Amino acid sequence: MSGPLLLQSLVLGVLLGGLYALLAAGLTLYFGVMRVVMIAHSAFLILAAYLAWFFTRETGLDPLLSLVFTVPLFFGAGVLMQRLLISRLRPATLTMMSVLLTFSIALVIEGTLGFAFSGTHRRIRLPYSGAHFELFGASIAVVKLIGFGLAGFSLVALYLLLKKTRFGQALRATMQHKDAAQLVGINTDRVAGYGFGLGLATAAIGGTALSLDSTIYPSLHWHWIGPLMAVIVVGGLGSVPGAAIAAMALGLGQSLLQIPLGTTWAQTFFYVALFATLMLRPQGFFGGRLAQRF
Amino acid sequence: MRSDSELVTGHGPRGGRTAVRAARLVGLLALIALVIAFPSMAPDSFILSVGVVIMSYAVLATSWNFVGGFTGYVSLGHASYSGLGGYATALLILRADVNPWVAMILAGLIVAAIAVPVGIASLRVRGASFVIVSIALVLILLLVFQSWGTFTGGSNGLRIPRPFSDDVLRPEQHERFFYLHAALLAVALLCWWAINRSRFGIGLKAIREDEDKAQSLGVPTFAYKLVVFVISAFFTALAGGLYALWFGFLDPIFQFSILVGAYMVLMSLLGGIRSLFGPLLGAVIVGYAMEFFKAQYGDTQAHLIAMGALLGVVVLFMPDGIIPALTNLVNRLRPQAASIRELSAAELAEQRREAEAADDTKEEVHR
Repeated sequence: MSGPLLLQSLVLGVLLGGLYALLAAGLTLYFGVMRVVMIAHSAFLILAAYLAWFFTRETGLDPLLSLVFTVPLFFGAGVLMQRLLISRLRPATLTMMSVLLTFSIALVIEGTLGFAFSGTHRRIRLPYSGAHFELFGASIAVVKLIGFGLAGFSLVALYLLLKKTRFGQALRATMQHKDAAQLVGINTDRVAGYGFGLGLATAAIGGTALSLDSTIYPSLHWHWIGPLMAVIVVGGLGSVPGAAIAAMALGLGQSLLQIPLGTTWAQTFFYVALFATLMLRPQGFFGGRLAQRF
Repeated sequence: MRSDSELVTGHGPRGGRTAVRAARLVGLLALIALVIAFPSMAPDSFILSVGVVIMSYAVLATSWNFVGGFTGYVSLGHASYSGLGGYATALLILRADVNPWVAMILAGLIVAAIAVPVGIASLRVRGASFVIVSIALVLILLLVFQSWGTFTGGSNGLRIPRPFSDDVLRPEQHERFFYLHAALLAVALLCWWAINRSRFGIGLKAIREDEDKAQSLGVPTFAYKLVVFVISAFFTALAGGLYALWFGFLDPIFQFSILVGAYMVLMSLLGGIRSLFGPLLGAVIVGYAMEFFKAQYGDTQAHLIAMGALLGVVVLFMPDGIIPALTNLVNRLRPQAASIRELSAAELAEQRREAEAADDTKEEVHR
């Protein structure tokens, strides 16, 4: 394996890992506040990508500007979803039934996208689509770098929000122990709703980043949900830093394995990691007490 | 909920109990008669083929219900076992020249063996990771079967020779496969019924209601879950193999589709996962609706929306299914079930004295 090729796949792995990390952080938020495995996360990701594509097609403006609409829209949708749908489920069977409920939402989104935009593969043409620059022999596409920057920026913002603000404190308290959080006067229902909104907002950002450099079609979300699920299991369900680290590690691993194995077989790396984790360390590598619980 | 109705009849007057039993027996006989008569009632071979599809769904949903109904673990990826069953059957016939029916049984056993490590990995942690593994398995198998073209036929699919000789015509084929599916369904239902009444079944249902309490009462939860998971995979694989023999063609996209797994869940939930015949009822309703939808609107994305919406509605408003809802309705018309015993203390004391007297006489004999 030559040096530049290795460097190239390392760079691509990091760039891909950033996007995985952001999306996995969203999944972790849902899981943390409500113990919900959100199958529809990647469907919302594709929905956001479609909205960005539609926005660019209609207005001719840069798809990044669509974030101004999609982020608040998705945040609101997340709050509504938690309030109107998820919270109606019985607590005893919440984990299982929420999987089915979010699965059905994913189906509706996929069907609606197919209905509205047909199954044709879509791609945004940008003036800087083909632009790239060289770094020690590895070429980095500008659009991928923008996507990574967007993901990294959002992750840092999310981290600061969780660590530094009063709301973040309340959110973390709700994730750690709901009853105790209620006892100290936190309105956990409202906080859980906002947590859900934040999670969905990550899908809006990720989707816009995705729309910059990949071809999108309605059933694409199945290709994303598997790796994302693997990431949160390896990281330990409910741990944001764990999810981010696992996302980076798995993204890099996939990218490196593409050289000897080819793209298709490299994807199985995620699933191998998933099974290995469940066999060796079922609570995940970074999950603590939370993961054991369910 | 079966247990509810049993409770009611147990405390009600004697006559009510026999009447319910008789009604159940009549219902069962009517169902069997309907299934046997269906091929001769079907006006054309298309309707008959729809009947085979619905039967196949009924077997799949009933097989799914071994895990879903008893333990409450929802698997969205049972398509992996039906797909593997189909492919294993086909590959055994094509590559190893095994008799089709032997191949089908062998495929079931192979898939059951594969289900053991999968079950160990996914059942160790509760809930969420079980679902995640079930989805991941479908995606991984889709990937493998599409990529490994030399062995599995890849995306081009795999053609399976028919198990009956060529002079058996199409309608005749449909009819035979309808009965074969019905027979498999009967075996699966019988097995479910037997487990439901056994100590094993009670342990599984305890896991469904509260796994921690079940464990603290000494139920070997992990072993029980694993065994029932493997049984479920076995029946699902048989259903997949039988379907493959009938349909004669396998394509990874349709075999390893999350949608197929979701259909099984939807059918079982709709009918009622705690009832023996719930998945069958769900399969008839959903299967019929699907075929109707396809005939009316063709293969558009509309069926995705319809199915998603239906699943959402069932989960939100009717998670127990149709059969329990109907049973509750019927129970409302019957005499009220009392939580207080309808036996007075005096009667109870009399019964105890008699029982003791009987024991005493036994002991006398022993001495």
